[in-house]
Amino acid sequence: MPNPDLDPTEVAPPPSMGHPHELARGHSWIPAILGRAKSKMLRPYVFGLILLAAVLFPYVDGNEGDIDAAANALAFAMLALGLNIVVGFAGLLDLGYAAFFAIGAYTYGALSSYQIQPEWSSFWTPFQWLGLVEHLQSGAGAGVVHLDVSFWLALPIAALVAAFSGVLFGAPTLRLKGDYLAIVTLGFGEIVPIVARNTPYITNGAQGLNGVTTPNLFGYNFGVLSTPYYYLGLALIVVLIFVSTRLKYSRVGRAWLAIREDEIAAEAMGVDRTRLKLLAFALGASFAGVTGTFYVAKLQTATPEMFMFPVSIMVLVMIVLGGIGSVAGVVVGALILQLLQSWFLQDLTQWIHALGNLTGIAFLQTVDLVQSIELIFGIILVVMMLYRRQGIIPERASVTALTYEQQHAMPSPQSVESDLVPLHRRAIDPHKPLLVIKGLAKSFGGIKAVDRVDLEVAPRSIVAIIGPNGSGKTTFFNLITGLIEPDGGKVLLAGEDVTGLKPHRIVSKGIARTFQNLRLFSNMTLMENALVGAHVRTSTGALGAIFRFQRVKREEEAARARALEILRIFGNRLVPRLEHLAYSLSYANRRRLEIARALVSEPVLLLLDEPTAGMNPTETLELTNQIRRLCDRGVTVLMIEHKLDVVNKIADKVIVLDHGEKIAEGTPKEIHSNKEVLRAYLGRTTGVVAAAAIAS
Amino acid sequence: MTQWDILLQQVINGVSLGAMYSLLALGFTMVYGIIELINFAHFNVFMVGSFIAMWALVAMGFAGQSHVLHGLPLIGVLAVAFLATMLGTGILGVVIERFALRPLRNVSGTAPMITTIGLSYILYNVILLGAGADSKNYSNPMPNTHWDFLGGVTLRLREVLLWVVSLVLMVALHYFVRHTKMGKAMQAMAQDQEAARMVGIDVDRVVMLTFFLGSALAGAAGLIFGLYYNYTSYLIGYKAGLRAFTAAVLGGIGNIPGAMIGGVVIGLIESLGGQYIAVRWTDVIIFSLLVLVLVLRPTGLLGRAAPSKS
Amino acid sequence: MPISGEQQASSRRPPSLLEFDGVNTYYGELHVLKSVDYRVGNGEIVCLLGGNASGKSTTMKTVLGIVKPRSGTVSYGGERINDLSTADRVRRGIAPVPEARRLFPRMTVLENLELGAFTRDDTAGIEADMERVFGLFPRVKERLRQQAGTLSGGEQQMVAIGRALMARPKLLCMDEPSMGLSPAFVEQVFDIIQEINRQGTSIFMVEQNANMALSIADYGYVLQTGEVVLDGSAKSLRDNEMVQQAYLGEVKA
Repeated sequence: MPNPDLDPTEVAPPPSMGHPHELARGHSWIPAILGRAKSKMLRPYVFGLILLAAVLFPYVDGNEGDIDAAANALAFAMLALGLNIVVGFAGLLDLGYAAFFAIGAYTYGALSSYQIQPEWSSFWTPFQWLGLVEHLQSGAGAGVVHLDVSFWLALPIAALVAAFSGVLFGAPTLRLKGDYLAIVTLGFGEIVPIVARNTPYITNGAQGLNGVTTPNLFGYNFGVLSTPYYYLGLALIVVLIFVSTRLKYSRVGRAWLAIREDEIAAEAMGVDRTRLKLLAFALGASFAGVTGTFYVAKLQTATPEMFMFPVSIMVLVMIVLGGIGSVAGVVVGALILQLLQSWFLQDLTQWIHALGNLTGIAFLQTVDLVQSIELIFGIILVVMMLYRRQGIIPERASVTALTYEQQHAMPSPQSVESDLVPLHRRAIDPHKPLLVIKGLAKSFGGIKAVDRVDLEVAPRSIVAIIGPNGSGKTTFFNLITGLIEPDGGKVLLAGEDVTGLKPHRIVSKGIARTFQNLRLFSNMTLMENALVGAHVRTSTGALGAIFRFQRVKREEEAARARALEILRIFGNRLVPRLEHLAYSLSYANRRRLEIARALVSEPVLLLLDEPTAGMNPTETLELTNQIRRLCDRGVTVLMIEHKLDVVNKIADKVIVLDHGEKIAEGTPKEIHSNKEVLRAYLGRTTGVVAAAAIAS
Repeated sequence: MTQWDILLQQVINGVSLGAMYSLLALGFTMVYGIIELINFAHFNVFMVGSFIAMWALVAMGFAGQSHVLHGLPLIGVLAVAFLATMLGTGILGVVIERFALRPLRNVSGTAPMITTIGLSYILYNVILLGAGADSKNYSNPMPNTHWDFLGGVTLRLREVLLWVVSLVLMVALHYFVRHTKMGKAMQAMAQDQEAARMVGIDVDRVVMLTFFLGSALAGAAGLIFGLYYNYTSYLIGYKAGLRAFTAAVLGGIGNIPGAMIGGVVIGLIESLGGQYIAVRWTDVIIFSLLVLVLVLRPTGLLGRAAPSKS
Repeated sequence: MPISGEQQASSRRPPSLLEFDGVNTYYGELHVLKSVDYRVGNGEIVCLLGGNASGKSTTMKTVLGIVKPRSGTVSYGGERINDLSTADRVRRGIAPVPEARRLFPRMTVLENLELGAFTRDDTAGIEADMERVFGLFPRVKERLRQQAGTLSGGEQQMVAIGRALMARPKLLCMDEPSMGLSPAFVEQVFDIIQEINRQGTSIFMVEQNANMALSIADYGYVLQTGEVVLDGSAKSLRDNEMVQQAYLGEVKA
């Protein structure tokens, strides 16, 4: 019998951080106000107002120090946005994010400062002609090259270099589990500043970069005052907020959220985990690359101290405070912490000193809050994790409840029109078997979970797999769908060998599944769950998400339309609840949603693992009929089922597994009267009992 | 000194460092073994331990290295210092577990680890603010006795003491885990938590005990650090921490003998690497080793199958 | 309405050791146990039968306190134990033999047995019980120093039962004792269960192998999707066609 401890697919995923249950409970005033602010109508106005205030700020407050602090704050807000993509959107804990910040900074430093000065040769002439380098001559000799790439050109270059290093680092490491990944990123974050300190040729080590060029916009040189940098920062952050938001509400963002919720289910629904994790990492790194360039241009130098572990942690504290996953939240968190450090704490320290003088308490007289900022960071992390994991601005607003009418509407099993739409677009040869399984086998330890099983499934038929507990049925499914690698045997879909393909490839080939223990994305809405099913049939990537071309919009609409059609198969049970989070659905509805989600991927073969488990007889009957109708519309169904009346009703063929072996195969009627089957279920008997049974 | 002398000297240094890292890695690996939590605060518990020890020694009348003892009085004073420190850090560990980690025990994902990062910061900064950023000259009653041999190799009394104490502690821990009832309860919990419940083991108690022991060992390591280097500062947790961490991972997270071996290996790498490559690159070497182990062989040298956290 | 042999048999059943009264257990939204009533009398072997997903495992977990009921009462020795921790239940005399054995794989057989007596501190009694276990399972005595994870399924089952006996329980709770065992071992195990019962321990057994279970039980309950659809003396259930039907999901509750 397969050991559930060894088979990770048997374990139902636990709730993720910041579970909406917690949102619903405490109604503190911050989220309430923000909740209203978040309502779709108000949002652009609120944003516009804030932007206006930000633009006017340097005129209202002319203090150079304040503007400088604000510009720095913007830089860290950009970093927070970038880390938010990695940690918040994709759920990957990165403790060494500052490494990418460093890479971006030193890239600009390399391209545009007096740091690297190779000897002049004719090789450099075309670059000089393009305006990217200068030829410096000091007396005799060939002279040296002064790399002087324009800031505006360096921005995308640095972003790309950082993204590339993200991919380089992520490729071998992103498959590690959460804890281990965090440690590895920590290591990486440690190594980069050390390397920076010890490669003076590029970085000038601890002394800092030499003479970084300031940006130049149409002849206006940014110089050393903060105000132009402040506006540059503002422009950059608006762009990054825009990009973040576009990514979040796109096919890519949905796929990330699915990975965060339940990686295995996401993969089983067609999401290529590795690729998407790399994408998150690379995009997050690119944000840091942009910020690095900006920051170094502003400071005109960079030292390794600027990129060490405390910086990575500070950005983490910002997003934890602000709200992991929430774009507005992380910006707010970053601004609060930065401004706390540069403005508020000094004043607060003065007040506390005054209080100390008043009361005569020595500790109060000498404490310096500015120095203790890291202590405050630590306290924030602990307090937020214990009491408010979702941060100041949670990433999910609460959902409006159904109206009275909607709640009490008589559930209609299905609507009439949905019968007419085809479920998938492939042409299937009706004369050849759709699924052929030969000798499929898998052992765990010494135990044969699946023992050389053969099976043929004809197209447009329903085949049921039955058998006692521990007979290997779910393992059988896991082998077909690629969650586990078989020890032997073959799986052929319409003649094509799909044995051992990764789960997301299996989905693209046309096999979709549901899970025995339900693996929905609990914190995603019903519609979002269904849309994840469409992932494998759509192709919008990060660029498409950001720019939202016409093609992208059409693809998204088509996916939604299809999802809606599929959901209508279940009448008005699911459709009124599109915006409800999956965890709030009734048990039967969750089962239906899982089936719908699988159907959205246009499968030719649907694998259902105990679809009616936990349903009462009425619900069971309804679903049984719906499955039969699916089959009539062209989907072949392979299902594990315990309720033999269901099997008797709709199965064309039944196979019986016991201890991993196929012990019987036939029509439901044949199986019903098969003595072997009965024995498998009721148990082998001792000699005495068997004799008594025969005699009776 | 000949090449061999240098090598031998560095081996001696490496083993000394390694003993310290082993003690530190042990506590860390024990906690991971039973609740699969990476406790970043552990390394600053070590740092706090070195301060507690120093204050204990100061309270006993030792400031700096001027007042030196020998023989039985020396052992007596050291024993008291060790006991006081280990008790102090043990209690600190239990408090951390009870109030900051137990509420998060059933929360999955990265929340518990982030909390330990926060706790680590808090400890670090409390000491920084309370005791100042300067390196403290350690109160050390140990004499500077040493033995020279082979033309240049020096073996100091404190090194021998350090090895003896570490060995004693590790043997004691090993004995406790393998041969006492509570120790076996810890093993049982690490192997199958639900089955442990089913034989009547109180999970909360066992977790507390594990934290107590692990933190006590960290405290002992802290005292050893002070006695060995004659200084301490708020930074030592951070530096030693990453090395001990790598040691635990190298030996196999959750594996107790693995942590012991891993510690010595890392110690040797640090001393030999410092001698033959360059001190400033040792951090990079050790971190690269960490990354390599996690990517290529996450179970470590002696570890079992990686835990089931998916 | 469950067909009950209870009324006829109740006058002949011994006083309750373990009792479930109207227990409802949920996993999140899923209603797993629907107002179930069981009784295990002192000295009885009671088996709980049913097909997959019938609620048998959840019943065991509820007895052990791993899962708490939303309503209804679980009582032991006359006292309500709904809120008692697993460790406390073990101390009071309920010992589990879990599904799939769940020995501590990297500890020796001897250590596993010793851990069974974790909640006890009477050394003499523990030694006596150890001898008793050796008496019941001579094979176990041979393998004392072996790591538990390296034993065969049948041997592991024996150690698991032995471990539970080391708590000197009044009630032994067995979850699918025949699972994964070869027929020969199944017979042995059931013989031993009978012997244990003869020596004075009550047994509450969840079992899929209805025939074997009913051959040694005094009383039986049949579960189907969380409800008791049939109960009666083992004798009356043995020849009852409805048991077969309930297993195969044909009886509508």
